[in-house]
Amino acid sequence: MSEHQRYRRENDHKHDENRNKGSSRWSHCRKRGADGVLRKSPAGEELVPDQRSPQSRPERTPESDGPVSRVRNWGDQVEAHEMRSNIQRDMHRYRRRILTVDFPQRDRKISSGSSDSRDSRDSRDSPAKGDMETDEAILVRRQKQINYGKNTLAYDRYIKEIPKHLRQQGVHPKTPNKFKKYSRRSWDQQIKLWRVKLHAWDPPAEEGSLQQIEEIDLGEIMDFEFDVECSAETESQSPTTTAPSLPLTEVTSQFTGNHISLTRGCTMKPV
Amino acid sequence: MENSSKEDYKIQSFDLENQKLLKTALKDPGSVDLEKVSSVIVDQSLKDQIFSREAGRICFTIVQAEAKQTNGSVFRRNLLNRLQLEFKAREETRTRSTQEWVCLVSFICNVFDNLKVNNMPMMALVHPVYDCLFRLAQSDALMNEDEVDCLVLQLHRIGDQLEKMNMHLMDELFNLLRDGFLLQEDLSSMGRLLLLEILEFRAGGWTLSDTAQKYYYSELTD
Repeated sequence: MSEHQRYRRENDHKHDENRNKGSSRWSHCRKRGADGVLRKSPAGEELVPDQRSPQSRPERTPESDGPVSRVRNWGDQVEAHEMRSNIQRDMHRYRRRILTVDFPQRDRKISSGSSDSRDSRDSRDSPAKGDMETDEAILVRRQKQINYGKNTLAYDRYIKEIPKHLRQQGVHPKTPNKFKKYSRRSWDQQIKLWRVKLHAWDPPAEEGSLQQIEEIDLGEIMDFEFDVECSAETESQSPTTTAPSLPLTEVTSQFTGNHISLTRGCTMKPV
Repeated sequence: MENSSKEDYKIQSFDLENQKLLKTALKDPGSVDLEKVSSVIVDQSLKDQIFSREAGRICFTIVQAEAKQTNGSVFRRNLLNRLQLEFKAREETRTRSTQEWVCLVSFICNVFDNLKVNNMPMMALVHPVYDCLFRLAQSDALMNEDEVDCLVLQLHRIGDQLEKMNMHLMDELFNLLRDGFLLQEDLSSMGRLLLLEILEFRAGGWTLSDTAQKYYYSELTD
């Protein structure tokens, strides 16, 4: 069979650019999402994008995208591609940055495992090259979590108010460094704390109850794995956000059943 | 400045209301319904051959404007998903109207050419573009001059990029074109000429040698 015929057969059902086709083929058969919630119906795994039914999955918390992609529409594929390429770019920048930090301090070879690089464990320490997180799946997941935090009005207000060079350690929230090696729990906790700290810059609340819900459920929500698939249609002017008609990450709290708009958009901003 | 940008994007064929919508989208994307904008653009691309070949540029400008203003990607997502629907229905479209089919291919290829992600072509579109070109290389399409014309236009514009993304498929595509040129009897003479030119074009590294340029293009005196 010619390559073209072969690829056509494979791609008749999906345009999946991810190499791990095995798992994604069966992911639509899963009865439960990654969070354990029973799925009402197999998610739209065909090519047809889900733009006409924003309410189709209101009940369940979006499930994990995981390292293996499911069948996705072109919009999602391109966003995923963009996110990965942003992360690659961030990685190059980061590597260059830590090299310039290390370089003036030592005239030895920069080899991993050298005890020098591990000695200074202050907050501005950069890991030796061998200690850097490079697993793409992990970096993507971390970046998504960072994006959720950066897409808030609070973050916007924070960066406008406090320029980077005026930030005080400990006082001002600092975005967790996704390239450092941390355990899953440690990372999730750092994100949680970072986001809680950012709340200090929340705009004055118009709906008191919304503020409360955000604070209470933030912890629980952060334990779930988010799917960056923003299948919900653009939200029309919401009273608590100032940015109009943007795609949102609508999280349905499992506990209160309320819709919480924590973000004002889905972005793939570099760290 | 206003007028020249209108010409640049070739939006004269839109009705006035939509022209206004597009101009606003270019300047202040956050203030318009971007789903509607993408829909308007796709609809027009399927009807207007000139626009279908250039629409990618205005799309990219809107994408960038939106990213800059709101950090969002609503327009791009809606555009791509709508395009995907049209792509999925391409065979019916081709049966219904060759013109529309040709416009669709031109538009998809122009989007591929213009909408880059961090300066790279969108990977998600590589196979769909190839799909379209392979369809155009089938014998029933090759005997239709409009379709051959569309095919060679796309290869001129994005052939080298496509080849970089997937050499094998390009080889296979050209095998079909070569076979068509040599073996297919019901090609028009113009169709045959177009095929020969594109075969030489690729063989020359996606450029035409001086002699080839003279051969194919110097006789066009009108």
